[in-house]
Amino acid sequence: MLSSAKHQRNHRLSATNKNQTLTKVSSISSSSPSSSSSSSSTSSSSPLPSQDSQAQKRSLVTMEEVWNDINLASIHHLNRHSPHPQHNHEPRFRGQNHHNQNPNSIFQDFLKGSLNQEPAPTSQTTGSAPNGDSTTVTVLYSSPFPPPATVLSLNSGAGFEFLDNQDPLVTSNSNLHTHHHLSNAHAFNTSFEALVPSSSFGKKRGQDSNEGSGNRRHKRMIKNRESAARSRARKQAYTNELEL
Amino acid sequence: MQIRNSINMCRGFMPMIQIKEAETKTSKTETINTEKPPVCSRSKMSINIRDPLIVSRVVGDVLDPFNRSITLKVTYGQREVTNGLDLRPSQVQNKPRVEIGGEDLRNFYTLVMVDPDVPSPSNPHLREYLHWLVTDIPATTGTTFGNEIVCYENPSPTAGIHRVVFILFRQLGRQTVYAPGWRQNFNTREFAEIYNLGLPVAAVFYNCQRESGCGGRRL
Repeated sequence: MLSSAKHQRNHRLSATNKNQTLTKVSSISSSSPSSSSSSSSTSSSSPLPSQDSQAQKRSLVTMEEVWNDINLASIHHLNRHSPHPQHNHEPRFRGQNHHNQNPNSIFQDFLKGSLNQEPAPTSQTTGSAPNGDSTTVTVLYSSPFPPPATVLSLNSGAGFEFLDNQDPLVTSNSNLHTHHHLSNAHAFNTSFEALVPSSSFGKKRGQDSNEGSGNRRHKRMIKNRESAARSRARKQAYTNELEL
Repeated sequence: MQIRNSINMCRGFMPMIQIKEAETKTSKTETINTEKPPVCSRSKMSINIRDPLIVSRVVGDVLDPFNRSITLKVTYGQREVTNGLDLRPSQVQNKPRVEIGGEDLRNFYTLVMVDPDVPSPSNPHLREYLHWLVTDIPATTGTTFGNEIVCYENPSPTAGIHRVVFILFRQLGRQTVYAPGWRQNFNTREFAEIYNLGLPVAAVFYNCQRESGCGGRRL
């Protein structure tokens, strides 16, 4: 486990580099040496060599795309963790790593708890996955993050950092994991919402709720009543059938 | 007469049955209507408002009030369908055995099987869903002797508890019936009107819900 943790950390180190995280699949596979090579990676973020600015730009672009799909809730959370993805400093990484570790583990635990699915251990990050180690760790990261950012948006909160690092992995594995993600997302969304009632999320709800809640409740009540009436009718019909 | 009084107490119907007619009729449960009573006395005079078909709103949602005149027996495997019986999709996967009454083999009947609660009883915007349509069934026989216009599709509701209704119409003679283009949004009343089938002569329904029951997670 230690080794895996180490790998994780290394991965983090390399990953947090904007450059590295948002590289394309091909580059990921090719690169490796520069970053924490030893780590090998957890497929997701493969070490990317240089091209800081370019990578950053690229990362920004991809980030934008992702951002566009993410709703306020995730943004709010992102802001909390914000500067992480933007900087490349070693010590920062450390800090980040450290910081990340906790959320990771918690997250993983949470995931394990809530989702009783095995995150498909496809070390199938094949093309994207650089070398080998596509560990279950990475898979675990990737599994709850459905490529469709829309779904991710609801989850993203604490997990957004991961998204950063995981991006290439996510995109590459989208097809593979979609169904997993979706199903995970469902379970995840509900539990996540319960866990983290972000203010922005609440704000969005609030605007609607003020106007519509009364209506909604009313409709709900009517529907319930109808359902109850149908149920009574069913029971009565059955009873009558027996009698007559 | 007492029968008349009880008729007058029928809610929602037009209890315009003349005493003479009532007296001539025999059993309470089944009255043979050889002629249509005058005015709009198409009420379920023989069976009171506690008839399961009325209580469950089958009469109302799917059918107009009618009088039973032919026996209709539907059997899934070993289970005979009685009104309001609860069946699961696994029990209704294959077409049931249907036996109809009557006396004269020269009379032909049409059997319609619909689900008025699609896709869900609280929002039945696809009412009704046609599951089965068999025509030219000679009296005293069953659907195997008839003409299956729309093949049997087993009910498999996803939401709520659905009523599944079997309706028997009497045909005026052998006739050609055309299958509708699609199963949903079928209208039994319209169908009967188009083919001049008049009011039903028999009907029975059962309840069907998801295999694992309603409520809970729906994935």
